[in-house]
Order: sequence, then structure tokens, then C-alpha cells
Amino acid sequence: MFFADFATALTLTFGYMFSRSVTMQYPDKEKWLPYARYRGHHFLKRDEEGEIKCVACELCARICPCDCIEVVPYEDDKGNRRPAKFEIDMARCLFCGLCEDACPADAIALGQQYEFSSFSSRDLVIGRDNLLGKPGKATTGGGVVAARLNTEQDVLVVTSAPHGYNWWRNIRRT
Amino acid sequence: MELIVALGLIAFKVAFLIAMLLLLPLPLTWLERKIAGHMQQRMGPMRVGWHGLLQPVADGIKLLTKEDHIPAEADRFLFKLAPILALAPPFVVFVAIPFGESVSVLGHEITLYVSNMNVALLFVFAVIGIEVYGVIFGGWAANSKYAVLGSLRTCAQMISYEIPMGFAVIGVVMLAQSMSLLEIVRAQAGVWNIVYQPVGFFVFFVAGLAEAQRIPFDLAEAEGDLGAGFHTEYSGIRFAFFMVSEYAIVLLVSVLVVILFFGGWNGALVPLPPLLWFLLKVAFFVYLFIWFRFTFPRYRYDQLMAIGWKVLLPLSIANIIITGVILGAATAP
Ligand code: SF4
Ligand code: SF4
Repeated sequence: MFFADFATALTLTFGYMFSRSVTMQYPDKEKWLPYARYRGHHFLKRDEEGEIKCVACELCARICPCDCIEVVPYEDDKGNRRPAKFEIDMARCLFCGLCEDACPADAIALGQQYEFSSFSSRDLVIGRDNLLGKPGKATTGGGVVAARLNTEQDVLVVTSAPHGYNWWRNIRRT
Repeated sequence: MELIVALGLIAFKVAFLIAMLLLLPLPLTWLERKIAGHMQQRMGPMRVGWHGLLQPVADGIKLLTKEDHIPAEADRFLFKLAPILALAPPFVVFVAIPFGESVSVLGHEITLYVSNMNVALLFVFAVIGIEVYGVIFGGWAANSKYAVLGSLRTCAQMISYEIPMGFAVIGVVMLAQSMSLLEIVRAQAGVWNIVYQPVGFFVFFVAGLAEAQRIPFDLAEAEGDLGAGFHTEYSGIRFAFFMVSEYAIVLLVSVLVVILFFGGWNGALVPLPPLLWFLLKVAFFVYLFIWFRFTFPRYRYDQLMAIGWKVLLPLSIANIIITGVILGAATAP
């Protein structure tokens, strides 16, 4: 029909006018919480005694397609092989997660943190102790949480209680 | 004494109109961006003020303080003249626009129009025709190919669409037996013209969209293919002039549609103050303009010409003939 398509188009846009917006007001109001499978910044795990799990086998360094992990082993006082130096060059990493898969000791994984941009690529070479302190995998995820920008603490976003977990389901897709 | 009061009143009305027209783009840009945002599942401006309400003010300050750049090869006189030429006519036109009959303030009857011309409609069309010169000069003077292309398109578009637009209102004039906008509204006290003149309204509205250079007829500033069209080289306050002019024309076309076809300040069903009725209807049409902008794609240039000459013009002429025949038959002895 003549003009029927115009009417359809207008009703469609009108409907969208009252739909939820997909905008996330990052970083000073809202922030996205990644899913547990998200591959973000690496972190190194500790065992039950609080010791680093890594046995410095260098498998991760070998399998890394970007050649961005550098491991130097040493023998600690208990006679265990541990990394004296464990550095990941985040500027080169492509977040493939192969290092996580290769690790025989389940010592390295890619966590939930995604806010680590930097003005200098040198700052992106992350050392062992730093990696041990990085946040782990997300336990809950796929939602928007209230946040506020903390300028004191680099660009890290402080989040409060999560809300709106079915965010993705709530938006309108036609 | 009488004369001084009358002159003072006119001066006050003119000043009020100018202030209103200059300030209206502020809420309109905000509204347009908000509506655009929500239609595209975004939020639009959010940061300056409550829900971005002060964003237009911030933008205004930005435009005022920006460098006023004139290209080296530009025709400086025309370049400076064009924004004023684009801005002045839409303002002048509002002199002839009635916003209602009259209100009584402090015992005085104050009419809600600056002047009641008996040829107001003609005046409106004559003056608004000048606006196109601003666009043409602006594009020409900038000495940039995008700007020239933009103004060439405008030229052709304005000429093509002013004809059906002018023809479309003849039916209304026939019905009201007057060219005075006031009389036209009074003639619609019973039944609105839209009932008798649906085709006239359609032609007028589509041509109005083209005259205001809004999507789907905004070929003059098609940002996809021409940079920004005729105002590509304009910056700062001169650019703001073009923007204000565009919003003034959007408002003007909405006001004209309401006056000519939707009964002006004549209410229906709910008894509201006439001025409120009028503003509500105008607001609806302004919203329609924005709504269209974010719904339809832009017409191609040949399609634009085809619509103007092959659809709107025959339609408007047929409308005149049919209206004339029916009127003649109805009034025949
Ligand atoms: S995620 Fe891939 S690229 Fe990054 S360090 Fe691990 S193996 Fe290398
Ligand atoms: S992180 Fe895993 S794979 Fe890499 S050196 Fe340590 S134990 Fe080996």
C-alpha cells in the first residue's frame, strides 16, 4: 500500500523512543561486569599455603604466540622451582588465553580486569608480584553495576552493589 | 498618548518575538538530540545539567567563543552577508503570524499578533523566499566545491517546492475567501481545513519539509555526501546563525500548517486556552519534523525533483481545480 511503509517506519521509531537505551554511562556512572569466561588481564594464582602456584616450567612462554611472557626460574628455600621473574608484556598480548590452557600447574589465568590502558607501553610490562595481586575471574557477570570514577586510583572504576543483571535481555531488539 | 502606547506595544511584541525565536533553538536542539538518542537507543546529552538540559547553553558558549574562520579564497562580503540573509527572513515572517485573537492584560485588549495583514499569506511566501539567498550566497561565497554543490541543490529544490507549496494553500484561500491568516483561522472555527483539504495539507507539508531542508529532503546539507553542504566552511557564530534559521523555519512551517489546515487556535473536544491549543498543535508538528528526521533516509536528487514536479505539482493543481469546482457547485444559485 502507498505510504504503508512510511507508517511502519514511523511506528517503529516511535516504539524505540520508549525502549530502554543501550547506553552504558561508563565510567562515572555505570560499568559492565564481564562474564566469567571473559579473558582480561592475567593474574597468577596462589596455592593453599599462599605460595605462588607457578612452577616456572616456561610452557606458557613457549606457547605464547606473541612471545610476550618471560619466565626466569630459581629454586626457593623449600627446594621448589619457582619463577624469580615472571613478566607479561600486556602491550603485545593478544588475550588468546593459550597460556592459561598450557599451564600444567593451573597457575595463570586471564581475569576480569579490562581497565589497564596506559600512556606508556613500558608500564604495560607487568611483573610477578603485580600479577599475583590482580583480580581473578568474575564470579557473577554480564551486568551493569553502578560505578564512579576514582581519579586517585588511576582509572580503576569503583563499583557498588550489582544491579540490572538481565540488562542484555531487557533491551529491545527487532 | 494613544500612539505611544500602540507603538510601545508593537515594539514590545517585536522584541518578545525576536527573543523567543533566538532562544527557542536552545530547547529545540536539546529535544532533537534527546529524541534522536532515544530513537536510536542512546540517551542523548546526559552530562551538562539535569539530563543534559544545559547542553545547548554549553554548545552556544562554545559556538560563540570559537574561531570565526573565513576561508582565504572566499568572497568575504557575501560570506558575511549570507548568514544574516538566512536568519532575517524567518524572523521577519513571524510579524505576520497570528498566535491567537487577543488577551486582556490589565484591562487592555492585547492582540496576539504584530500585524493583521490582509495579504499575510502572500507576505509569508514572499519573505520566506528570500531565505534561499542566504543559503545560495553562503555556498557560493565559501568557494568550496561541497558548499557550491549544496547551494546548487538548494536552489533547484527551493524553486521546485515553492510552486506546489504556493498552489497547495490556494484551496485554503478559496475556502476562507481571504488571504489574511487571521481570517483563515476564523473560517475554521467549525470544521478544520484538514477535512476539506487533505491533499492540500499533504502537499503543503511535504513541500514544507523540503523548504525547511529537513530529512528526507535535506540535500543541501547532506552530511553523507557533501561534508555539511552549504555551511561546510562556516564556523562559530555564523554557523549558529544558519542553525537558528533552520529551527525558525521548522517552527514557521509547523505554525503555518497549524494555521492553514489544523484550525489554528480553535480547540476541539477539550476546552483549553486558545493559545495553549495553538502551541500544542505546533509542538506536535515540530515533533513530527524531528520524528521524520530520524526515521527516513534522504531522497536521491533525481527522486527529489521527480516528487516535486511529477507528484506534488499535479496533485496541488488537481486540488485547486476540484476545490474550485465543488465550491462553485455549492455556491451556485
Ligand atoms: S593470552 Fe596469549 S598472547 Fe597473551 S600472554 Fe597468554 S599466550 Fe601470550
Ligand atoms: S604459569 Fe604455568 S605454564 Fe607458565 S611457567 Fe608457570 S607453571 Fe609454567
